[in-house]
Amino acid sequence: MGNVLPFVGFTPWEIIVTICNTLITFLVIKKFLFKPVRKMMAAREEEVQTMYTAAEKAQTEAEQLRSEYTERLSKAKEEAAEIVGSATRRATVRSEEILKESSQQAAAMMKKAESTIEQERKKAMNELKDEVASLSVMIASKVVERDVNEADHERFIEDFIDKVG
Amino acid sequence: MGGINITGPEILWELPESIPLIGGQPITETMRNAWIVMLFIFLLCVFLTHRMEKVPKGKQALAEKAVMMIDNLVDGTMGPGCRSFSPYIATLLMFSFCGSLASLFFMRPVTGDLNTTLGWALITFVLITFNKIKYNGIGGYLKGFLEPVFVMAPLNVLSEVATPVAMSFRHFGNIAGGLVISTLLMAAMGALSDLILGFLPVPLLQIGLPGILSLYFDVFTSAMQAFIFSMLTMAYVGDARSS
Repeated sequence: MGNVLPFVGFTPWEIIVTICNTLITFLVIKKFLFKPVRKMMAAREEEVQTMYTAAEKAQTEAEQLRSEYTERLSKAKEEAAEIVGSATRRATVRSEEILKESSQQAAAMMKKAESTIEQERKKAMNELKDEVASLSVMIASKVVERDVNEADHERFIEDFIDKVG
Repeated sequence: MGGINITGPEILWELPESIPLIGGQPITETMRNAWIVMLFIFLLCVFLTHRMEKVPKGKQALAEKAVMMIDNLVDGTMGPGCRSFSPYIATLLMFSFCGSLASLFFMRPVTGDLNTTLGWALITFVLITFNKIKYNGIGGYLKGFLEPVFVMAPLNVLSEVATPVAMSFRHFGNIAGGLVISTLLMAAMGALSDLILGFLPVPLLQIGLPGILSLYFDVFTSAMQAFIFSMLTMAYVGDARSS
C-alpha cells in the first residue's frame, strides 16, 4: 500500500477540489438535467394551454352558433305565424269584400231588372193604348159609317181612355 | 490481528512540482472516485434527457419525475420562489448518494472522506451566510448574533460555526463508520472461517452476514445521509431567506 492520508484528516487542497467538483456537477445537472426537462415541461404546458384555449374558443363559438340558430329558428317560426295570420286576415277581408260586392251587384241587377220591367210594362201599356185607340177608331168608323176626321176621333178616344183609366 | 488496515484515502499520484500554486498536491483515491461518480452523473443526465418527446415515457418520465420531486421538496422546505436552488439540491442528493454507493463497486466511498463532506458543508455555510446578509443586510446579520441578549453572542457564533461542522461530521461519520464496521466484519468473518471451516479454500462465512449488513450500512445509510444533508441545507438556507 502506498502513501495514505489520515482516516480523519483535514486537507484544504481536497476541500477545494471537492468544491470545484461540486460546482462542476452542479453545472452539469443544471445544464443536462434541469434545463431540458424544464424546457420540455414548459413546452408541454404551453401546448396544453393552447389546446385548452382552442377548445374553449371552439366551445364559445359553438354556443354562439347554437344561440344564433335558436334565435333564427324562433324568428322564422314567428314570421311564419305572422305570414299565416296576415294571409288569414287578408283572406277574410277579401271574402267579405267579395260578398259585399256580389250582394251590391245583385242588388243593382235587381234594380235594373225592375226598372227594365217597369219600362217594358209602360211601353206595352202605351202600345196597348195605341192599339185600343186605333181599334176603337176603326170600330167607331165602322159603326158610325161615316168618315170622321181621324185626328178628332183619336183625340176623343184618347180622352175617353184617359177617363176610363 | 493482521490484515485489518483501516486508513484514509490512498494517495495515487502527486502533481508535479513544476505546476505553480498546486504543484506537489496529491491526487487521492477520493478524488478519483469523485470524478468517476461525476462522470456517471453526467452520463446519467445525458442518458435521461436524450431525445425528449412531448409525451414522456420510460427514462424521460423518470427524469421529469425526479425534477418534479426535487422541485416539490424545495418548495415544501424552502417555500415558494426558491426553484433556483433545485439543481444544487439535486447535485447534493446525487453526488452524496452515488458517492456513498461507490462502496458497492469496490471503491472507497467519496463521502467517507471528511474533506468531501466538509467541502459541501462549507458551500452550505456560504449559502446560509450569503442569504442572511442578502435578506437582513449586513447590520441585521451581525445584530442576529446578539439575540435574544448580547451575552448570547459567543454561543450564537459557536452555533453558526457548528452548523457546517456538525453537518460534515454527521455525513462523514455515518459513511466512515459503515466502512469501518464492514471492514471489521469482513475480517472477523474471515478469521472465523479460518478457525472453524479452515479446510475450505474460501472464507465461506464472508458470504451472507456482511452482505446483509452492507444493505444497511451502505445502501440505507447512503440514501439517508444524502437526504439528511440536502434537507438540512434546504432548511438552513430557507430559514436564512425567510428570517
